[in-house]
Amino acid sequence: MTELGNICLWIALLIGLWGSAVAFMAGRTHRADLGRSAERSIFVLWGLLVVVSAALMRALLTHDFNIEYVAAYTSRNLPVFYTWSAFYAGQKGSLLLWALVVTSFGSIALLVNRGKHQDLTPYVAGTIAVIAVFFIATMVFAANPFERLGFTPPDGRGLNPQLQNPGMVFHPPMLYLGYTSISIPFAFAVAALISGKLDTGWLHAIRRWTLLSWLFLSCGIVLGMWWAYVELGWGGYWAWDPVENASFLPWLTMTAFLHSVMIQEKRGMLKKWNIGLVVGSFLLSIFGTFLTRSGVISSVHSFAQSNVGYFFLIFLIAAALAGFGLLWYRWPMLKAEVQLESMVSREAAFLFNNLILIVIAFAVFWGTIFPIISEAVRGTKVTVGPPFFNQVNVPLGLGLLLLTGIGPLIAWRRASLGNLRRQFLWPTAAMLVVAAALAAVRMTDAWAVVAYALGAFVVATVVQEFVRGVGARHRLHGEALPVAFVRLVGRNRRRYGGYVVHLGIVMLFAAFAGLAFKRDTEVTLKPGQSADVRSPYGWTYHITHQGVSQYDELNRFVTAASVDVSRDGKYLGTMKSEKRQYLDSMGQPTAEPATEVAIRSDAREDLYIVFAGAVQGTEEAVYKIVINPLVWWVWYGGLVLAFGGLITLWPSAQGPTPASRRRAEPAGYVAQVGA
Amino acid sequence: MWRRSALSLLAVALTATGLAAQTARDSALSRRLKARPADSLGRLEVPEAAGRGVRPVTAQDNAALVMALEHKIRCTCGCNLDVYTCRTTDFTCTTSPALHQLVLARLDSGMTEAQVLDAFQKQYGEMIFMQPPKHGFNWAAYLMPFIGLGVGMGLVVGLVKRWAKASPRAPAQPAAAAPAVGATPEEMDKLKQELEKFEA
Repeated sequence: MTELGNICLWIALLIGLWGSAVAFMAGRTHRADLGRSAERSIFVLWGLLVVVSAALMRALLTHDFNIEYVAAYTSRNLPVFYTWSAFYAGQKGSLLLWALVVTSFGSIALLVNRGKHQDLTPYVAGTIAVIAVFFIATMVFAANPFERLGFTPPDGRGLNPQLQNPGMVFHPPMLYLGYTSISIPFAFAVAALISGKLDTGWLHAIRRWTLLSWLFLSCGIVLGMWWAYVELGWGGYWAWDPVENASFLPWLTMTAFLHSVMIQEKRGMLKKWNIGLVVGSFLLSIFGTFLTRSGVISSVHSFAQSNVGYFFLIFLIAAALAGFGLLWYRWPMLKAEVQLESMVSREAAFLFNNLILIVIAFAVFWGTIFPIISEAVRGTKVTVGPPFFNQVNVPLGLGLLLLTGIGPLIAWRRASLGNLRRQFLWPTAAMLVVAAALAAVRMTDAWAVVAYALGAFVVATVVQEFVRGVGARHRLHGEALPVAFVRLVGRNRRRYGGYVVHLGIVMLFAAFAGLAFKRDTEVTLKPGQSADVRSPYGWTYHITHQGVSQYDELNRFVTAASVDVSRDGKYLGTMKSEKRQYLDSMGQPTAEPATEVAIRSDAREDLYIVFAGAVQGTEEAVYKIVINPLVWWVWYGGLVLAFGGLITLWPSAQGPTPASRRRAEPAGYVAQVGA
Repeated sequence: MWRRSALSLLAVALTATGLAAQTARDSALSRRLKARPADSLGRLEVPEAAGRGVRPVTAQDNAALVMALEHKIRCTCGCNLDVYTCRTTDFTCTTSPALHQLVLARLDSGMTEAQVLDAFQKQYGEMIFMQPPKHGFNWAAYLMPFIGLGVGMGLVVGLVKRWAKASPRAPAQPAAAAPAVGATPEEMDKLKQELEKFEA
């Protein structure tokens, strides 16, 4: 089966090359037979990569340790659940997953758009084929997942203990899905640029893909935060690691695009900007992968260094030259149909929103690469860690939060004073009340006060929009309020789904602001001894060490330290933090013992206890105890955000907006404007 | 009788086989655990399975000044974490506990916070800090995003003003959902349909 996989990989490379060449030829010559051949080559590529993936999966599940990848990432006693995740735990497997997902999404995009966008389809197929060829060629020439060892070890090295967590089963695929799905909007943007069909037709084709990509990236990022929080044991969920930053960058640019595309659809403006954002998002998704594989920047996420990084660098440069070169070539054709009329308009608010999102993306990018720049300019290495990113991004993030509230309330084209008064009265009042309340309870952290006050402002704007919308339906149609609510959302999923996303964003900001009140300490306790830890809410946790026990469990040997926890005299339960010594099938340790955190979470705060170790081999234990306010809001904020994204993504019978449909037909638009 | 004996033998054999299988399944560490007598002094049977041994925490370890200092100093083990976070998280790291001891020793010798940081910079260079020290070229790291914001703001405001001048002045939009005063139900219905079309 592995030989078949290897052969299929080579055939896929040839088919991919054929598909790329024939697709661009089809676009240029308008030959339907070549176009069909290009489309079919994407489907065949997908089929071949399914066989390749099945071959690798079979090798993993049957413990074929003669294959280097299988020996490096699995062992006989690795649970099947994690053997599955070993598929993408290493570089070679993750490249295969990427290629498989690109061709899967590419096939779906071509099937969904069959018979539509005739001028674009060949170029879309060609671009997807080129991207797939890049990944397949990287595997074939630099990182073949079927590479064999000169001998067959009796057992594999097993999976990194920190990856043996449910979060790592879902987080990487989600991020890969996010990264790879950006390839589809990129392919349509390239197709629109090459073909010169620059009306909103290509935007209709990619609308769902951009939302889907944004949704996958959002879920992948939040799942990664959850994994870091429960598994790494440092008491936080975001460390501004270069690879975390790399996943955040395309999320920021995609978010900017999701806002600015509305202006293009409604008003025919920002065409150059939107194409630039799509191209930029794709490049940033490749940049993230380049960072993890090149070793140019030190990161805990880095894969083993290899020459794969050069492949990515070359591809990144080539894609940038092609994308922005085409944009420059078509620049004169991308003129706005109308001009912006006033600074006090929704268009202007969205422009400022885009500006802040891009500046945050720039700040994150700049901070990530500044160590390289400093070394190149001054010959001095510097570290750019969380204090820098927090210092720079907190004010920018709060500006963005303010615009999250302002944008949806201002009228299109030009807002009147009456409009502003009517829309902003209650949200501003809510903001001031919350700020005053926080000042009254003597919240000292100014950034946190501003964050909560602005959060109240945004929540008030969303609630006001829902209340007014439901009220209007209730009055106009005589519908019951719940029916009016459901129909209001159902009839305009994009708008109201977007508001739900805004609520998720506020929850996330509330959680981030809670970090200002984080408390942590270390204690040493003998069995029966207790320690008191004071919460920022004013109550006291009483933590009593019960003892340390050792036992076998699945593929590991566990040392568990237990504490009884009570809060202000009320017993809350027993919490257990562990050291896990993972073992191979012969009972030999595979790595250093890993730490499992004990977490007690509610909406107000998390009690986070880490068993740091035993004193001189006794049951006397050292614990790290962290009180993390509002962490719960990160996970549920993420869920609300994803739910809002799903509402927005859910297909609507109406399709694109009437204004946007008119713009897809330039002649129709001219008629409309002229009317 | 012989049948009972045979059954007993079979049971013994099965038990022995089961035990052997169980033993084979058990880890080497577990076998060590089972081989040792219980320890009434609270000693761990397999201490190495609990990771590197730690020393009891002192009041100085938790001192606010020590924590603040260690949050500013990077662990040099390659983990990208600060010394405090690394020594209280990565229990396999031997670098961060050593750097922690160095911080304590320097404070014990009477150094101020600034002097401790200076001493670390002399020893390791600027990369020992979690963020670039604010001087010289490093200011570029802090200022560039805000310069970008300023330039972007200027561009957006300038462009919007230019566009606003160039475009014919349209009347300001009325409040988004202002009720139509004095409209008939038919007019309201028509208005509703138009609004829905526009908002869709």
